[in-house]
Amino acid sequence: MGSINQDIPLKPSGLSYKLTGALSCYALLLAPLALLGVFVYAPFFWAFAGSLYEFEVGAPAQFVGLNNFAEIFFRDPVIGPSFINMVLITVFMLCVRLTIPLIVAKLIYSLPGERSRYVYRIIFLVPIVVPMVAVQLIWGGMIYADRGLLNELLELVGLGQFTTGWLSNPRTALLACVMVGFPFAGGIEILIYYAGLSGIPQSVNEAAKLEGCVGLRKFFYIDIPMVMSQIKLMLVLTIIAGVQTYENLFILTRGGPGFQTTVPALWMYYNAFSFQRMGYACAIGVCLFVVVFTLTVLNMRYIRSTEELEGAR
Amino acid sequence: MNKHLQTGLIHAVLIMFALLTLVPFAFALNNSFRSNTEIYHSFFGMPESVTNAIVAARRVIQSDNTPVDIAETDGTVRSAPPREALRENISLALLNYQRSWALIRPYMINSFVVCAATALGVLLISSVAAYTLSRNRFPGNRVVYYFIISAMMFPGVLTFVPTYMVVRELGLLNTYWAMILPYMAGGQVFAIFVMKGFFDGLPEELFESARIDGAGHLQSYLHIVLPLSKPVLSVVLIMNVIGSWNNFMWPFVTQSDGQYHVIASGLFVLATSAFASSFSTLFAAYMLSSIPLLVVFIYATRPFIRGITSGAFKA
Repeated sequence: MGSINQDIPLKPSGLSYKLTGALSCYALLLAPLALLGVFVYAPFFWAFAGSLYEFEVGAPAQFVGLNNFAEIFFRDPVIGPSFINMVLITVFMLCVRLTIPLIVAKLIYSLPGERSRYVYRIIFLVPIVVPMVAVQLIWGGMIYADRGLLNELLELVGLGQFTTGWLSNPRTALLACVMVGFPFAGGIEILIYYAGLSGIPQSVNEAAKLEGCVGLRKFFYIDIPMVMSQIKLMLVLTIIAGVQTYENLFILTRGGPGFQTTVPALWMYYNAFSFQRMGYACAIGVCLFVVVFTLTVLNMRYIRSTEELEGAR
Repeated sequence: MNKHLQTGLIHAVLIMFALLTLVPFAFALNNSFRSNTEIYHSFFGMPESVTNAIVAARRVIQSDNTPVDIAETDGTVRSAPPREALRENISLALLNYQRSWALIRPYMINSFVVCAATALGVLLISSVAAYTLSRNRFPGNRVVYYFIISAMMFPGVLTFVPTYMVVRELGLLNTYWAMILPYMAGGQVFAIFVMKGFFDGLPEELFESARIDGAGHLQSYLHIVLPLSKPVLSVVLIMNVIGSWNNFMWPFVTQSDGQYHVIASGLFVLATSAFASSFSTLFAAYMLSSIPLLVVFIYATRPFIRGITSGAFKA
């Protein structure tokens, strides 16, 4: 071994080599760092700076200090109700996205045949090929429409008195918006949970079986703690997605009727692109960032993943 | 017996979930073959052109010359010999698709350009960057890595408006670059994170023996790293393609001229335009817009499932 090392200079020492090596490393990282700087970091800092300004069309930017934030917290009548909508949507998303895919993944995983397990995983993955916009438009135009699937079904079973314009009725609009995608089983969440379940060591499963821990008991006392890493990931991702949900609301209802389905992110969009109030929109974005950041940090600190549970033992 | 009953029960529940999941898409597919009049007259129903075509095809095969109905789009019904009726009914069934394809073709082409450029760009720059960060010691290595992955903490809702302002300042509004460059900048962050994690796990012996055989960094990258990381690369590829294919709001605001609308923003524009009431055209457009990802999906399911199941996705 030693002789080979002498014959072939694997790592020629000396400052010049190290320097060129480091320089070429930096050169290879130039493109990603440049893109990151211009399109991610610059907007990130610009969001905070811009939130202190008001940009009038055709006039120079005007420094307004914390005025935008004062407006958000004390004067804007839309922020309060839209914040409540955001919380409701996020809580609903947490309830369905943490439970249903996990249950479906567990059901698939408990099937005996490798083949049927694979087929089910594919079936539940297929809906991701339909563009998100098309899904929302299909639900808006075909299921919730006045002469849509839901109303026709109600007529068919003789419950005609319950038909309504699901997205235009203020009482049902928000519920209709969050129910898009029912029963919430399609997508890659199932795969992520499935990966967690198949990562449980066989010895653990066998020990559980010998101890008579099967069925629901096993699900709650073995499976859930063992897939805590994945649950934690989904928790973080769902909160981040929930706070930022607005595209689907824009497509389905434009935030209406009234402000029944408006969320702060949608209000930000309107301020930026309908009212040309870029500074105020940046300020709303900053507030949402603080919400997301706080919740993520709390998650990381207080919810233990499987590895950490093992480490603590 | 108990075991069989249990398995049957699981199948029943799973099939119910699958049916409920697929119902909206099945309805959209069904209605994409029907004319607007048909949809208005009966909501639940098979497309007449398709059922007629099936009848006609059966009669052609059985050499039965009984005439078959042709339901024209204006609501009138006429009869024709099976051979002619088959041809007419097939073209009637595909009429919606012809119309909507004429409408969405430019959107589809724009989406192809943006998705391909973004995905290839992300794969190239992030695999090179991840390899550089993973297999080289140089001053600032960890600082650069943390600088990159910190960007995962920036939510899109914070950077959306300022990124628009940056793109506007650079004069990129209403160009392909307004989509490709920000998508690459955002997509590479997660890609580098996943790839570096995977490259770190490759055994050092592989690279050592390659070095002994005289391979440089380029050869190690091309002949060791890339072939071994196909599952991870395909996950990154698919996530990026799905992401840029689905992205709606960003193209909607940066392509206000409408010349470079991609499929997502284009569908929305279509659904809010004069075609809003032409459900059959819209449903055909939704179905057509799903085909590209379906093709990707058919080719990439196995490596994708393998990649996700390899355990890269946990917190």
